[in-house]
Amino acid sequence: MREQGLAEVFVELADTLVDEFDVIDFLHQVTIRCAEVLEVAAVGILLADQRGALQVAAASSEQTRILELLQLQTNQGPCPESFQTARAIAVPDIAAEAERWPRFSDEALAAGFQGSHALPMRLRSTVIGALNLFMRQTGRLPDETLRIGQALADVATIGLLQARSIRHHEVLAEQLQTALNSRVIIEQAKGVLAERYMLNMDEAFIRLRAGARGQNTRLSDLARGVVAGTVDV
Amino acid sequence: MERGDDRGAWIWTRVGLESRGAPFTVAHICDAAVAEAHVDGAAVTLMSAATVWETLYATDKPAARIEGWQLDFGEGPTVDAYQRGGPVLAPDLDSLESITRWPVFATQASGEGVKAAFAFPMQVGAIRLGALNLYRLAPGPLDGDQIADALAFADAACVLLLADAEGERTGAADLTWYRDGQSTSQIHVHQATGMVLVQLNVSAESALARLRAYAFAHNRPLAEVARDVVDRKLRFRPDTGPEVVADD
Repeated sequence: MREQGLAEVFVELADTLVDEFDVIDFLHQVTIRCAEVLEVAAVGILLADQRGALQVAAASSEQTRILELLQLQTNQGPCPESFQTARAIAVPDIAAEAERWPRFSDEALAAGFQGSHALPMRLRSTVIGALNLFMRQTGRLPDETLRIGQALADVATIGLLQARSIRHHEVLAEQLQTALNSRVIIEQAKGVLAERYMLNMDEAFIRLRAGARGQNTRLSDLARGVVAGTVDV
Repeated sequence: MERGDDRGAWIWTRVGLESRGAPFTVAHICDAAVAEAHVDGAAVTLMSAATVWETLYATDKPAARIEGWQLDFGEGPTVDAYQRGGPVLAPDLDSLESITRWPVFATQASGEGVKAAFAFPMQVGAIRLGALNLYRLAPGPLDGDQIADALAFADAACVLLLADAEGERTGAADLTWYRDGQSTSQIHVHQATGMVLVQLNVSAESALARLRAYAFAHNRPLAEVARDVVDRKLRFRPDTGPEVVADD
């Protein structure tokens, strides 16, 4: 784990939590920083929709393969388990889980991952999702690293629900559903850019995000404009 | 049948009970939503902007009037749900929060006995069709299960309206494509929607409709067709129809 820079990461994330920040962009930033600080290969965030199913909200890589690996955990894998038990789940050897989670195990190995952790995103007694870490090698991450990971998961939770007095499941429903629909808009916008400029989906996301930075626009607003054809990036 | 693990399937079964064998309409969805979410009334409103809308169906007079007030005043949960792209839940229209947020609407609605209003967008990403709106005569929040039901009914209404736009007569079997929400395969559907939009130079809604029509005509799962588009094995052309680019 890279200790230096940790304080800066928390400051940077806290700085993002200003009015009108974009939730998906913020969660994406958490995954990127998480991958850097914890020195893991990939990081994803899954949020529970009101139907109780986990949905992809953000990933440190927008490659379709990574998104799929995250999304198939609607049904199986460490994230649903972490979500249901509200506990951190360690998967030191993904290959050893072939019977328990056949599809997850296959897809993770095919993507080049050997180990994984899932950390719950908790709001008091409610679990709203999970932070998912993937490593290229087998083995558990040290407890100290996982503590930092959990702190980043907590920052993500706070970011998602910030600035509102929480009317329990109501505000939760409003925020989560809005965030998850933003995620769908971003996928549609990636498709538009991929087709228009012959990019792969990862490149399309990078172009979209750079556009949001350059035009000082919220990522999901820009994505909506791209799909509506009112802006280009 | 219980809601259980597959709320999407349960919702369609529930709508089927209302339709009694007839093709599904938004009226059946509203009636089912009223019973299951324990509210007093429901309405489905089509919107193409926050100020341009048409109420397709309302279960009773108050449900219709709530929609009308919001259109007149330009404020209320439905307006906000459309603009935000997420549900807007107002469990107590007499609360300071509601009155501050919608001074004219909250006062009018409460004066006429409507004490709680809940708006659920009918949307697929950037495709926004409108909202399913519920109301109560007594203040009080929806519980978690009722919110989940309402979201699922709004999804069902959305699917139904997309299918209607293509002139399909809809039964439960045709509607399974969206019921899993954003599963793995849905990622491809959303990406393919964006790609086909560019290929045909049409709206996202039309692009999704064309994808679904192609899948239906070729008797293939939508997710599989979407995957071919994303993998650039299938492209759509405005004049000659879809074209298979390459075979594996």
